Amino acid sequence: MAKTIMVVDDSASLRQVVGIALKGAGYEVIEGRDGVDALSKCTGQKIHLVVCDVNMPNMDGITFVKQFKQLPLYKFTPVIMLTTESAEGKKEEGKAAGAKAWVVKPFKPEVLLGAVAKLVLP
Amino acid sequence: MRWHSVKNPGLIDSKILVPFAFAGAGSLGTIVAGWSAWGWYTLIWAALLLGAAFWLTRASGFATGGSGEAAMIDDYLAARERFGDAVLPVWCRHIENSRVQMEEAVSDLAARFSNIVDKLDNAVHVSSADCAGGASITDVFSHSETRLGSVVSSMKSAMSSKQAMLAQIKDLERFTRELRGMAEGVASIAAQTNLLALNAAIEAARAGPAGRGFAVVAQEVRQLSMRSADTGKEITNRVGLISSAILAASQAAEHSSEAEDKSMQSAEGMIEAVLNEFRGITDALVEQSEQLKQNSVAIQGEVGEALVQLQFQDRVSQVMAHVRHNMEQLPALLRENRDLYAASGALAPLDPDRLLHELQKTYAMAEEHAVHSGARLAAPAATEADEITFF
Repeated sequence: MAKTIMVVDDSASLRQVVGIALKGAGYEVIEGRDGVDALSKCTGQKIHLVVCDVNMPNMDGITFVKQFKQLPLYKFTPVIMLTTESAEGKKEEGKAAGAKAWVVKPFKPEVLLGAVAKLVLP
Repeated sequence: MRWHSVKNPGLIDSKILVPFAFAGAGSLGTIVAGWSAWGWYTLIWAALLLGAAFWLTRASGFATGGSGEAAMIDDYLAARERFGDAVLPVWCRHIENSRVQMEEAVSDLAARFSNIVDKLDNAVHVSSADCAGGASITDVFSHSETRLGSVVSSMKSAMSSKQAMLAQIKDLERFTRELRGMAEGVASIAAQTNLLALNAAIEAARAGPAGRGFAVVAQEVRQLSMRSADTGKEITNRVGLISSAILAASQAAEHSSEAEDKSMQSAEGMIEAVLNEFRGITDALVEQSEQLKQNSVAIQGEVGEALVQLQFQDRVSQVMAHVRHNMEQLPALLRENRDLYAASGALAPLDPDRLLHELQKTYAMAEEHAVHSGARLAAPAATEADEITFF
């Protein structure tokens, strides 16, 4: 059975690009337009990994990760931050929120897939 | 940043105008030089600088002192504020509209790439395993070749059995020859016995009455020899018939065997020819399939590179959003500047650092900071695996 990955990004084109890479590797993808939209979709289904942007309207990625990690079902679900941000301070915020990896855009599909394969839940 | 306060515009000295004239010229240069780097943002600042230079030039011409100049300044500041209120929202809407359109177009483009990749995967899958059971055409060919080979082997085995049977029939012919010899032996014995019986009858006649009984025996022996001769002839006839039948069967079987051998060779040749034709077709199909796979890998590589390039839309979109947000703050700054003049009578120049600082706070990319400082950077390379930060 295919593993499910949630992609959270306010850019529809970025969600498409990440989706193409993940679906091509056999993952199922659910999308969130921002933190609020993504949290509304965490309704109990198994999510094996989250790929999340940082700068988003309504709820930014760091806040989303903090709230996502508060949900008992997703406490151990790994999160990869995928962002244009490369400042060390932001990375520390992501780490403190509970993210497992930080990937700076633009990314090569195989590089993202490598990180996903390393972290995705069994 | 040092602020230049002009409490009384009537005291403006013509010496002050020179730097402002240079500011005007400089702003024109800024439009030309900075357009490619900052676009609308540069145009706004240039327009404001030109406006200031124009006003100050005019102010020097009307430098007669008094409330007339104050009113003129107030009019200018109000007009400048209206300018900002009118122009900035339009510029911002254009930027936002362009950003949204670009996002939608790139999103659509990405979706089409997704479809291309899916269709390509399907084509490769179909070409490599295109039979109902999922077996490849080479598997089907190999299986068919084995089965046909098995049929040919069975036919050869049947031919071999028939040859053995033919040899056995030929052996029967040898037996009939022996039987004929034995029948001839019986006939010869019968003839000899007949001759002996004849002699015995002669001797019995010569013996007179004493030989009468012997004559009867001799007669019986003679009859037996004649029956033996008849039986021998009968055996010879029957053996002859059997021999002819066996010979005819043997010849028929031999003819049949030769015909079957020819048919067998012909069938084998035809099967080989058909298999060769199929082999040629399957080899071509396998080659095409392999070529398709190689092309697929190459196209997927190209698509991967395209996916990297498509992400630059997100970066551009973010930069445009940051600049638009910053531009939206300009009318408020103009209003504040006018309010300051109304409250204190101090004509303070607009402070670009304030807006620039606000803009800088919105930056997410190192590239934005670099461009802000005047650097011209090439597009950043895609992140490599060893550049990922794992926590």
